[in-house]
Amino acid sequence: MKGSSVHKVENGKMLRVSLEFGQGKILEAKISGDFFMHPEESIKLLEDGLRGCGLSEEALAGRIASIVEANSVQLFGFGPKDLARAIMEAVQ
Amino acid sequence: MTEFRLLLTGEDSGARNMAVDEAIMREFRPGDKPTVRLYGWRPPAVTIGYFQAMGEEVNLEACSRFGVDVVRRITGGGAVFHDAELTYSFVCGEESGLVPKNILRSYSVICNSIVSGLRHLGIEAGFKPLNDVVANGKKISGNAQTRRDRVLLQHGTVLIRVDVEKMFSLLKVPDEKLLGKMIEDAKQRVTSVEEQVGREIYFEEVSQAIQQGFSENFRAELVKGGLSFGERALAEKIEKERFGSDGWTYLR
Repeated sequence: MKGSSVHKVENGKMLRVSLEFGQGKILEAKISGDFFMHPEESIKLLEDGLRGCGLSEEALAGRIASIVEANSVQLFGFGPKDLARAIMEAVQ
Repeated sequence: MTEFRLLLTGEDSGARNMAVDEAIMREFRPGDKPTVRLYGWRPPAVTIGYFQAMGEEVNLEACSRFGVDVVRRITGGGAVFHDAELTYSFVCGEESGLVPKNILRSYSVICNSIVSGLRHLGIEAGFKPLNDVVANGKKISGNAQTRRDRVLLQHGTVLIRVDVEKMFSLLKVPDEKLLGKMIEDAKQRVTSVEEQVGREIYFEEVSQAIQQGFSENFRAELVKGGLSFGERALAEKIEKERFGSDGWTYLR
């Protein structure tokens, strides 16, 4: 199944999520928007790392936070919880 | 007094402009002087942030129709229509100590050059985190930064004149029915040097003011220079391979 969402983060930037999912898990996630991420290549780590993640806001936020921490990624304009929410909105 | 190199490269295409900024950053060696580059765009161009989805943000048909270039930046941030604008880029080594290691604070420090510069035009402006300079509550400058191998590149816009309707015709609007309202909203949120000074004003005058801004902010003397052979060669390579390629432009 496919879904997408556009999520404006309060006092932050815009998150666009394009999702392919099945059996309660992410198959493919594409994240775009006018945010900043350092280093920039981390977006790929994030998208790759989300594959197979269960579709619950908690699991998503946890997975995103651990990828960010493990790779010393700096996010500007959104946090793990915002992205998790945006992904859940794409599932609805 | 610290010396910075000043590059006045004039007007160029979007791909060329972005390639030159990247080449300066990648050719930077420890101990090199920081560079302040001021430039313009011809033809007008839309640049989008590294993380933006081209299909979602840009009306490619309208850009083609108006002869507006479309380029994906290496920096994050949003979609920008570059026309009557002065753009700056600032490149320095992290080890210079000129700019805080903390990214948010570094935006503030560098943007303060724009704030100082605008003050020379009689405009009271201020930095608004993460990456804006606002004058009388309206955005007059947007900025984007990247760091690679301990070298920092920040580039940003100083809007000289803005045509909000034209801007919206080139960018994708989520709901055409809301276009009128979005244009009105944008006119409330965005301003230009011309609107703030209330008279006709052109690139050269803004350039002089921004040069003073950088000089004052960093207590540096800006010395006019040119691109090195290496920078020139790398810029050409980058322009062709990256910014001229569909694979990069339509990356996401």
